[in-house]
Order: sequence, then structure tokens, then C-alpha cells
Amino acid sequence: MAYAYLFKYIIIGDTGVGKSCLLLQFTDKRFQPVHDLTIGVEFGARMITIDGKQIKLQIWDTAGQEAFRSITRSYYRGAAGALLVYDITRRDTFNHLTTWLEDARQHSNSNMVIMLIGNKSDLESRREVKKEEGEAFAREHGLVFMETSAKTAANVEEAFINTAKEIYEKIQEGVFDINNEANGIKIGPQHSTAGGASGAGGAGAGGAAGGGCC
Amino acid sequence: MATSDSEDFESADEGHGSPDKKQRKKRLSSSNYSDNALETEQKVSNTPKESSNVKHVEDKVKETDGWDDFEIDDNEAEPAPVKSNAEKQNKIEDKPSNVKESKKSQDTGWDDFDDWGEDDTSTNVQKPEPKPVQAKPQPAQSQKPEPNIQEVTDRLAAASTGGGGWGWGWSVDSLLSSATAGISTITSQVSQGISTVLETGIGAPDPEELARRSVKTNETKTDRSAPAPEADKRPETGSEQEASAGDAAFPFGSLLSGVTKFVETTGTKVIHGGLDTLETIGKKTMEVLQDGDPGLAKKRAMLGLGAGDKPVLSQVLREAKAKAEEEDKVREEKREAKEVHYENLFDDFEGLVHLEALEMLSRQVSMRIEERIRSVDLEKRQDIKETLQQVAELCEMPEEDDDYEESPSEDLSKPDAFHERLQTATQDLGLKLQFQALVKQYTEVLTYLSSPEADSVKSVYKRGVSSLAQGTALSVEQYHKAAEMLLVKTRRSTADEADALTQMTVVLTKHISELATLFTEKLNALPSDNKEQVNTYITNIFLEAGNSSTYIQNAFQLALPILQIGAV
Repeated sequence: MAYAYLFKYIIIGDTGVGKSCLLLQFTDKRFQPVHDLTIGVEFGARMITIDGKQIKLQIWDTAGQEAFRSITRSYYRGAAGALLVYDITRRDTFNHLTTWLEDARQHSNSNMVIMLIGNKSDLESRREVKKEEGEAFAREHGLVFMETSAKTAANVEEAFINTAKEIYEKIQEGVFDINNEANGIKIGPQHSTAGGASGAGGAGAGGAAGGGCC
Repeated sequence: MATSDSEDFESADEGHGSPDKKQRKKRLSSSNYSDNALETEQKVSNTPKESSNVKHVEDKVKETDGWDDFEIDDNEAEPAPVKSNAEKQNKIEDKPSNVKESKKSQDTGWDDFDDWGEDDTSTNVQKPEPKPVQAKPQPAQSQKPEPNIQEVTDRLAAASTGGGGWGWGWSVDSLLSSATAGISTITSQVSQGISTVLETGIGAPDPEELARRSVKTNETKTDRSAPAPEADKRPETGSEQEASAGDAAFPFGSLLSGVTKFVETTGTKVIHGGLDTLETIGKKTMEVLQDGDPGLAKKRAMLGLGAGDKPVLSQVLREAKAKAEEEDKVREEKREAKEVHYENLFDDFEGLVHLEALEMLSRQVSMRIEERIRSVDLEKRQDIKETLQQVAELCEMPEEDDDYEESPSEDLSKPDAFHERLQTATQDLGLKLQFQALVKQYTEVLTYLSSPEADSVKSVYKRGVSSLAQGTALSVEQYHKAAEMLLVKTRRSTADEADALTQMTVVLTKHISELATLFTEKLNALPSDNKEQVNTYITNIFLEAGNSSTYIQNAFQLALPILQIGAV
């Protein structure tokens, strides 16, 4: 599980838009039509490779229910990327985007990469929100846009990985200070093992994402 | 002719690699007079009287010549492309060397020549640094007998007064006239001159061009007559050329010679001074280095330069191989150690991230409590603080009392009994916590330990650490979930919640020790020829079990503000 970077993602959006399904599709490559309501936050993780570097995506899948709103807000902090999800078959989920966006911008760092996702693209017949509308919203608010289907897995990988690429670019540009964990980026434990012969037979590298040593 | 010219250029270039034209010029002329310079330097100390005379001359010349010569310099810069001439003048530059030879017999010629050099040096260099200039050129004069100098002085004086603003013109005019006069005699002696030119090897293109230009400008300015005798002599001494311009270059070179001499002597002094300084620095450095370490023995030894410990190649290679093997071994051990590294496993089981999330909640809620305290008046503030304290006390872990461990019904399996205990403990919490994962994990552990899979000490140990990490991660998740659910709970009963969570903590920590005991018992039961290793493993298991309990209790403490906020 050695990785160069760890990116913290949050998935936000109205309840029932398919946030947990997107995560499950991305981490387990499977689709579960019936999903328990998420309580607070659930986690998922997957390793990806960008520019030859192993990057661990640690995804915080938040509850969409209004009741958990105040709790989930406290999890925004320290996220490097956010997937803002709406359901193309439910216009109200699209209409709530502004609120979600305001929330996200208010409670996270300004450099957070936000990807707008119109999920359930497989349900074309029940579509209520045109793709162009999503595109326009994204353009207006400076987001990256993509329509996905957690069911068919269409664009799911791309959504997560493109977000990671943007974050990675920001790191390269020096926008993100990787040493400040409030940015949602941690340097992997492999850096500490690079030492080589030091600490023979020791306990190995320090805590992975624990921050600091041991 | 042509070939000799080119050779001259080359040699000149070799001698004076500087790309700077003017510098070259100076050096060139200086090389012409290098002998002179040496001689004169030696004589300087012997001729104080003469130098005073010379000063007279200089002073006079300064008045008039100073700026004029600079004008000439300016003129040099003007473009005057006459290449063929330039080549010829090249030779003329060499004249001085010949002049040297002939100077003993021809005093007058030498005097004039020298005077010019003197004029220029004094004037040219004077501007930036008057004093040294006066001192340096003196040597050149000192070579000559006093009467000659007097003569020159007189002449110069006359020229400066007679010439008025054009005083400089005198010297230049004389050059010109001498040049023209020389032409007639030049041709006959051309062959003679060539050899000298070749020998001296001076004839860089730059100086001659410089000379040519100066002559050209002079020509345009004046055509006055000048002392002919001097001119007559020059052709004889120098390597002569047909062109009058070429002749004119000769004196010009001499002008520069004085400057160069000055530059040279100053330069020599500077260099000597610099070398002295360097030497001092070097000596001092050695002194410091050897301070308390005579012969640098210690430092040599430190740097591994000692003669005694010279490495033998085969030895080095052997050592390198051994080292590489050792490193491989270490790396392998490390990899294995990592495999059973508790923290990593705990992270892999999402224990850390749940702890992190719980911490975020805890911090946020704490802030809300503080806010609330601040928002009320002092009296209420005290009440709130007391309430908070009471809740905290409720959450203190009870003393180890085994009477709690009411033996579960005999007909229940261990995991089911565990589940029941958890549910009983959290009954009053009013939340639907999901303990299935914990129960499932417990079941899996039990299954594993009774299976033939658990046959080696190592694999049992690995599984033990892993199980502890997983059990702890799942436990931490319970606190996280409980906290989240408590926060969205509409009706709070803090005392019950606190009690329930405390009970849950007791059950969970007991569960962890149960897991540890199961694994250590298994380790003890397994046949092993390395008891020491087994003991190490057992110690580690208990160590990680303690670690697990700490995590669980930390999680419980993080949940405390969430309990507290329900009461205030």
C-alpha cells in the first residue's frame, strides 16, 4: 500500500443521487441497486496511477440527507477534491447544486477541485436535466463537468481520475502545499522507507496516513 | 613580405592574446621596450636628480599635451580602413628593437624617441592618477644623460609655447616629417629590416592600425615641418616601409611604450603584492590546520588518507557484497515487518480515517460548546461547566471488576455472546448501531484459529496483529457512527448515553484482550523450535492489544463532547 500521495475526496449532493453507488462502482467495480442510507460519512479508497506515481484516493462519501447536513459539513475540511453529484432524472437535485456549492466553498479550502457530476446517464428516457444545462452550470462556476452512470460504470473512472489529475497538476504548479494536510493531500509513507539500511529490523515505516512518525 | 607579415601577426597574437584592441596596442609597444623598461627600473634608485629634471619636462608637456593626446586617441577610433598600409606598419612597430641597438651610437635619435614616449606616458596616464605617473616614467629618462634631457625639455618648451593650442602638433608633426623624410632611405634598407622584424616577432594588426589611423588624422590636420635629422635616423634603425604612414606608427608605438611601462610596473607591483597576500593566506591556513595537529596526522587519518589503511580492492569488494546481502536481508525483514505493521493495518481497515472523522466532529462540537458557554452569562456559565464535568465523570472507565462479566448463556456461541453483550451495553444509547461487522470478524478469527490454516507461528502471529487492527478499526467506527447518530438525534438523554458508551468501551476493550489471548494461546500451543521467537511474537501481540485498547479509549474520549453537548 505504498503511495506517493493521498488525496482526500468528498462526494456531496442530494440524497439518492447515487453518491454511494458511484463510490462502490469506483472502488469495487460493482453496482448495488439498493443501498442503505448513508449515515454521516462512509469511506472508500482506491489506488490510482498518475504520471507514474501511485496515488491513494481516500473518498469520503457523505450522507445526502438534510439531517446530516451539519455533520457532513464538518468533513469538508481538508478535502483536495469534491464530486458534486446530481441526478439527471430529478431536476430538484440539479436545482440544489448552488446550495451545495456554496456549502463546499465555504467549508473547504479554496483550491479544492470540484467536479460536477450528472449521474444516472443510463436513464436517458427519464432525463429531466439536459447535459447542456450541466455544462453551463459547470462553466459558470468553474467546475469540471461529466455525466456518469454508476450502473453502467460509464465515466465513473474518468470522473475520479480526472479530478485526481487536476489536483496533481495543481501540486506540480505549486498551488497546493502538500505539506499542509489541510489541503487534503498527504505524502505517502514510501518516502520514509526510502532511507534504505537505516533502522535494521525495525518496525518499518511510520504510520501510513497517521501523519508524522509513529 | 607578405608571408613575413602574416607571421608577425601570428606571433603577436600569441604574445598578446587579449582581444581588447587598446590593450594589445599598449602591450605591443611595451614589448618593444621591454629591455628598456628593465634597465630603467634598475636605475631608478640611482638617478634621483635626473628624475627631478624629467619632472620639469613632464610638467611642461602636461600643460599642453595632455588633452591633445587624448584627441589622438579619439581619432584612432575613427574608421580609417587602409589595410595594405596596416600590414606595412606592422613592421614599423618593431623598429624600437632596432632602435635599441642603435641608440648608443645615435644619441639624438634615441632622445627624441624617448621623449615622445615620455610625453605620452605622462600625459596619457596623468589624468586618472597623476602622482604615480610622474614616478614611473622617470626611469625611461634616467637612461639618458642629463644634457640630453635638458635639450628635450627646451625643445618641448619651445614647442608648447610656439605651437600654442597646437602644441601637440609638434610631436606629431615631427613624426610625420620624419616619416616622409625617411621614405627616401627606406627602400634600400627594406631587406635589412625584415630579418629584424621576424626576429622580434612583433607586429600585431591592431597596433599598426592604431598607428595608421593616428597618422592619417595627423596628416589631415597639419603638414608642418619638423626636425629632419631625427627623421633621417629613424629609417636606418627601424624596419622600414614605403609608406609614410607606416613610419608615423613607430613614434606612436613609443608613446604607448611609456604608458605600458607604467602599467607594467604597477601591474608587477600589484601582482607581487597579490602573491604575497596569497602566500600569507596559505601560510596562515596551514598554521590553523596544523594547530594542535602537527603534520596534519589526525586530519589525514580522518580523511582516510593515511598510508596505513589503504584499502585492498578485493577486501572492498568483499565488504560491498556482504553489505549488499545485509541490506537485502534488512529490506526483506522490513517488508515483512510492514506486512504485520499494526498502524498500517489499522489504516487499511479504515480505522484511522474513522478516527480522523470522529476527531473532526469532536473538535467542531467542542467549539460549539465553547461558543455556548461564551454566549451565556456568568452564572449559567458555571452551571454548564459543572454539567460538562459531570458528563465527563460518567464517562470515566470503571475499575476492572469481573462481576460485570456475567457469564453469558451457555447455549450461545462466543460471537453471539459478544453481540449480545454489545447490544445490552448500548441498549440505553437509543441508537441502532450495527455490530455485525465486529461479530463477523470475531467469528472469522475463531474459525481461523481452529482451522488447519493456523499451523505456523508466523502466520498465526500475522493474523493476530491483523485481527487486532481490524477489531480496533471496527470498534473505532462504532464510536464514530454513534457520535454521528447522537448528533442528529432529536431527544438526548446524556446520562444514559454516557453510561451506554462507557459500557460499550468496556465490552470492546475486553473483546480486544480476548482476541489477544486467543492468539497468544494458539502461539503457545503450536510446536516450535524457536521459543524465543514465539515469546517475541506473544509479547508483540499483547503490545498491540494494549495499543488497540488505547485507540478505543481515545475514540471514546473523542465522543465525549458529543455526549456533553446533549446536556448543555
